[in-house]
Amino acid sequence: MTLRRFLTLGLLVVLLGAAGTAVWRSAGPRPESAHSIAEQLLCPTCQGESVAQSQSPMAAAMRDTIDQQLAAGRTPEQVRRFFVDRYGPDVLAEPSYRGLGLLLWLLPGLTVALVAGLALRRRRRKPDGPSPAEAPAEAPPARRRPSRAWDAVAVAVIALVAAVAVASPHRASDTRPAPTADRNTSLQSLAQSLEDQGRYAEAAEVYRDVVTQRPDDRTRLKLAFALLRAERATEAAITAEQVLHDSPTSTDALLILGLAQRASGSPAATATLRRFLKAAPADPAAAEVRRLLAAP
Amino acid sequence: MIGQAGSVVLGAGLVAAVATTLLWSRVALLGVSARPARAATWTTLAMAAAACGVLEAALIGHDFSVRYVAENGGRDVPLYYTVTSLWAALDGSLLLWLLILAGCAVAMGGRRPGRAGPLRPYAMAVAGAATVFFFALTYFAANPFTAVSPVPADGPGPNPLLREHPAMGVHPPLLYAGYIGMVVPFAYGVAALLAGRTDRLSVALMRRWTLIAWALLTAGITMGAWWSYAVLGWGGYWAWDPVENASLLPWLTATALLHTLAARRRTGALHPWTVALACSSFLLVLIGTFLTRSGAVASVHAFTTSPLGPMLLGFVLASVAGVLGLLVWRSREPDSVPASPLLARESVMTGNAVLMVALAAIVLTGTLFPLLVQAVQGDAASVGPGYFNRSAVPVALVVLLLMGVAPLLRADRAADLRRLAMPAAAGLGAAAVVGLLSRPGVLPLTAFALGAYVLTGLLQAAVRQRRSLRRSGWLLAHAGIAVVAVGVAASSAYTVSTEQQLKVGETVTAGDVTARLVRVDRTAGRGDMSSRVHLELGGGADGRSEPALRYYPARDLTVSVPAIRSHISGDVYATVLAATPDGTAATVRLAVNPLVWLVWLGGALTALGATAAALRPPSRRRARIPAADAEAPVGAA
Amino acid sequence: MRRGRVLSALLAAAAVTALGVTLASGVGRPSGDAAPTAAGPVTQARSGTAPALTGTTLTGATFDAAALRGKVVLVNVWASWCDPCRQELPVLAAAQRRWAARGLAVVGIDIRDNAESARALLSGLGVQDLQSIADPQGTTAVAWGARGVPETFVVDRSGQVRWWAQGAVDAAWMEQRVSPLMSS
Repeated sequence: MTLRRFLTLGLLVVLLGAAGTAVWRSAGPRPESAHSIAEQLLCPTCQGESVAQSQSPMAAAMRDTIDQQLAAGRTPEQVRRFFVDRYGPDVLAEPSYRGLGLLLWLLPGLTVALVAGLALRRRRRKPDGPSPAEAPAEAPPARRRPSRAWDAVAVAVIALVAAVAVASPHRASDTRPAPTADRNTSLQSLAQSLEDQGRYAEAAEVYRDVVTQRPDDRTRLKLAFALLRAERATEAAITAEQVLHDSPTSTDALLILGLAQRASGSPAATATLRRFLKAAPADPAAAEVRRLLAAP
Repeated sequence: MIGQAGSVVLGAGLVAAVATTLLWSRVALLGVSARPARAATWTTLAMAAAACGVLEAALIGHDFSVRYVAENGGRDVPLYYTVTSLWAALDGSLLLWLLILAGCAVAMGGRRPGRAGPLRPYAMAVAGAATVFFFALTYFAANPFTAVSPVPADGPGPNPLLREHPAMGVHPPLLYAGYIGMVVPFAYGVAALLAGRTDRLSVALMRRWTLIAWALLTAGITMGAWWSYAVLGWGGYWAWDPVENASLLPWLTATALLHTLAARRRTGALHPWTVALACSSFLLVLIGTFLTRSGAVASVHAFTTSPLGPMLLGFVLASVAGVLGLLVWRSREPDSVPASPLLARESVMTGNAVLMVALAAIVLTGTLFPLLVQAVQGDAASVGPGYFNRSAVPVALVVLLLMGVAPLLRADRAADLRRLAMPAAAGLGAAAVVGLLSRPGVLPLTAFALGAYVLTGLLQAAVRQRRSLRRSGWLLAHAGIAVVAVGVAASSAYTVSTEQQLKVGETVTAGDVTARLVRVDRTAGRGDMSSRVHLELGGGADGRSEPALRYYPARDLTVSVPAIRSHISGDVYATVLAATPDGTAATVRLAVNPLVWLVWLGGALTALGATAAALRPPSRRRARIPAADAEAPVGAA
Repeated sequence: MRRGRVLSALLAAAAVTALGVTLASGVGRPSGDAAPTAAGPVTQARSGTAPALTGTTLTGATFDAAALRGKVVLVNVWASWCDPCRQELPVLAAAQRRWAARGLAVVGIDIRDNAESARALLSGLGVQDLQSIADPQGTTAVAWGARGVPETFVVDRSGQVRWWAQGAVDAAWMEQRVSPLMSS
C-alpha cells in the first residue's frame, strides 16, 4: 500500500467519523412547533390544504387553538387527539397505516419488486444456446396496391365522424345552472344595460336582487345611485347610509347620500355634501357639488 | 357568430384528425406514399391553430356571447391577461393542448431525412388517435364556443390567481408542451409493439424527443414550484398536492426511460420494460389530466367539476388496457446476454431507473389512495406530505447516491472505485461541517452530504472530459438535480416562520429578521379591493416589504400576495393573513427561507442540460448506419 | 410459456379493473365548492356531551351556558362577514321569541369578527335580542368542532349534542329538528 493511498484512506476514516458524529447529533427527536402540528392537520373546509397553508378563517381559528393548547402545556399528541375527537380521523393529513392504509406501503413495494424482476430477468438466465425461435417480427410491409375496401371503410369512418359532429346537439350554456357568482355578474350586466337605457327603476330592482345575494359596497352604491336616478331619493338615502355605516370612509356613499338628501329636501344635505367635498376635494364630481352648494 | 365559426373549426379539426389517423395507418399497413397523410397532419394543425385564434379573437374582442369569454373574459382585464386567459380555464387550455399536440405530430411527421424510421407511420397513427380523442373531448364535452343567452355585458375575468404574475404567459404552455411531448415516446413504444420490431433510428428518435419533452417538463415543474412560492403565497413551493404529483409522475417515468435508453444506446433493441416505460409517461399524463381536470381529487390548483370526467376516464382505461394487452401479446422469453459487472453502466443506470419507477409508484399510490378508500369504504381519507416525506424522500436519497457513481461509469467494464475517493471525502466533509454546526435532521444532512458528493464527482468528470465538454449536457443536468436536492434540504431544514397579529408600530421576529408594521393602506381598484401592509425590516435584513391581501368581489376570492426579498443567503418572505377594516392592525406571517433560490437554479440547470443533450447533433458514426440494417425484434436485449 | 402469458393477461386485466374502479369513484364526487345551502342545511346526528360554552357576549356581559342546563340550547356559529348568516339570524331570532317559553335558548358564537360590525349587523337586522359570545380567535367554535359558518349545533335538555347542521337553517328545519326535542 503506497503512502498516498494510506493517507487517503486515513482521511476518509476521519471524515467518516466526523460525519457519523454529525448524523448522531442530528438524529435526536426534533421539537414539534405549532406550525409543524398545523401542517399535519387538514383544513376541513378547504380543497386539500393543510391548516398551516390555508387562509380560511376556520384554519386561522385552528392555528390559534393549537397555539392556545400548547401554551396551556398540552403535548402535541394531546393537541392532535383534540382535533381528531372533534373533526374525525380525516383531519389528520397523514393517513393511518393500518387496514387499507397498509396498501400505501404494499403497492409501491409490489410495483418495485415486479419492475425490478422484469428489468433484471435477463441477467439471471444463463446463456443456454439460441433463444426459442419465434417470429413476432413481421416481414417488412410489402408494397401492395392500396386496397379499395380499406379506403372505402376509411371514408365511411370519416363521414360517420363528420355526421356525428354535425348532428350533435350544441346546447347553449343557459340550460346549465350557472354558479351564483356568474348569475350575479350577468344580473349586474343586465342592470347596467337597463341603466344605460334609462330604465332606472327596473335597474334598481335588479340591483336589489343582487344585493340580497352579495351585499358588497360597490353593488349597494350602484343600487343607491339607480334609486336616486329613479327619483326614489328616500330609499337611496337609506341604502347610502347603510354603506356609509359599514365603510365610513366611502366618499361615493357620502356623495350619493348628500344628493339623495338634497333631492328629498332634507336639511342635512348641505352638511353631508360639505363633508364629501372635504373628504374628496379632487373627485370628478366635486366641481358639480360646489356649484350645487353655491346655488341658493 | 364567432362562436359558430369556432365550433365549425373544431369539428373540422376532429374530422381532419380522424383522416390523419386513417391515412397514416394506411401508410403503415399498405406501404403507400406518406404525402396525403402529411397534408392531413398539417390540416389538423391548421384547424387547432384556427380554433385557438378564434377564441383569442373572441377574448380580445370581448364577445361575451361565447361561453368561454362570458366565463373568463372581462372588460377590466389588461390585454396581456386577456390573451393568457386562453389557458386560464379548462376548455380554453384544451385548445392550447390541441395546438401543441397537432404541432408535435407535424414535427414528428416532417419530411427531413433522419426523422423517418420504418416505425414512423405506426407512431404517427398512434399520435393521430390521441389527437382524435382530444378533439372529440373538446368538441363534445368542453366546447368553449357554445352560445350564451342572454349575452352578459361583462364577465368576471380570469381567476385572479392567474392574473397576479406575468409568468402566467409562460408557465402553462411550457408544462403542456412537456406533457404532450411524452406522446412521442408513447407513440413509438406502441408502434414497436404493434409492428413487433424496432430499429436504431426509431430508438434514437424516441430518445431525442423524450429529452426535449423532459427538458420542457423539468422547466414547467420548476416554474410551477416557483409559482406556488411567489404567487400563491402560502410560503412553500411543494406540498405533494395532487396537481403537483400529476406533473411529477410522467417526469419520473421519463427519467427512468432516458436512463434505460442510455444504458443500451448502442443497440437498436428495446427491452419490453423500456417499451413499457416509454408508454407509461403519456399514460400517466392522461391519468393526471383525468385527476386534475375532472374534479376527482381535492386540490388548490384543480379545475372544478366538468362533464369531461367519464369521457377522459374511458380514454385512460382504454389506453392502459391497450398498452398492457399489447405488452402481454408481444411478451416473449428475453434473450440472454452475458451479465455485465455489477458496477458497469448498464446495471447502475437500470438500478436508478428502477428507483425512479419506485418513486413514481409511491407518488401514484399516495395520490390515488383517497380515491381508493372512497371506492372501497366510501369514506374520505387524505394523504398529506407526511407520507411522501417518509417514503419518497429516502428513495430519492438513494437515487442521489447512485447518481454520484455516474461519472465513473464505463460501458462494459466495472467502475474504477478509486475515483470515488474525492467525492466521498467531499460528501462526508460536508456532512461533518453542517452537522457539527447545526442540527438539520438526518434526512437533510444526508441530502447535503450527497449533494456535495455528486457535485464533486461531476466536477471531476467535467475536468477529465474538457475536450468533449460540448457533448456533456448530462453533466449539467445531473449537477442541477444535486443543486435542487441541496436547496430543498436547506429550505426544509432551516426555514423559520412566525405568525402574529400586529398593531401599527409593533414588531414580529423570525430568526434574526424583524419586521415592524408601519401602516396598512386600503385601496379599492377596478374589480378588486386590497390591503397593502407596509413593513420595515430590521435585524438580518434591511429595507421595506409590502405584502398585500387582495379581495376580488366578482369571484368572492381573497388572494394573499407575498412580498419576497431575496438575498444570497435566502429569502425574507412576508404575507398578510388578515387586516382589520380600520387599518390599525394586521396579521402577518414572516418567514426566512434559506437558499430557496438553489431550487430554481437547479431546475434551470437541469432543463438547460437536457436541452443541450437533445440539441446535440447525433454522432456521425451512428447516423451513417442505414436504418433498415439495424432492425431488431422487440424483446431482444 | 403459454401459462405465463395467460397469467400476465389476467394480472393486466386485474390491474386495469382496479385502476378503473379507483378512478371511477372520483367521477361522481361532487366538487368541493358546490354550496350545500341550496337545498337546506346538511344535517347530521351527533352524540356526546356538549363542550363548555363560556365567554364574553357582544354586549360585554359574561356568559356561561352551564346556566342553561335543562333547556334546549341552539348554538349558532356565525360572523358578520358571512353572507348566508344574514338570512339565518332572523330565523334564529324568530325561533327564540316563539319557543322561549317552551325552554329554548339560542346562543351565537361570533367568530373571528369585529364586535362593532357584528353589533351593527344585529341591529340592522333588528335582532339585537340574540345573545352571542364574541369569539375573536374562533377557538370556541373549534372546540365545538365547527368547520365553517354558518353552522348550528342543537343541545338537548340533558346537555347532549343531538344535531349538527352546516349551512343556514330555516323555519322548516327548526320545526323538524328542534321542536321534537322540546316536547320530550
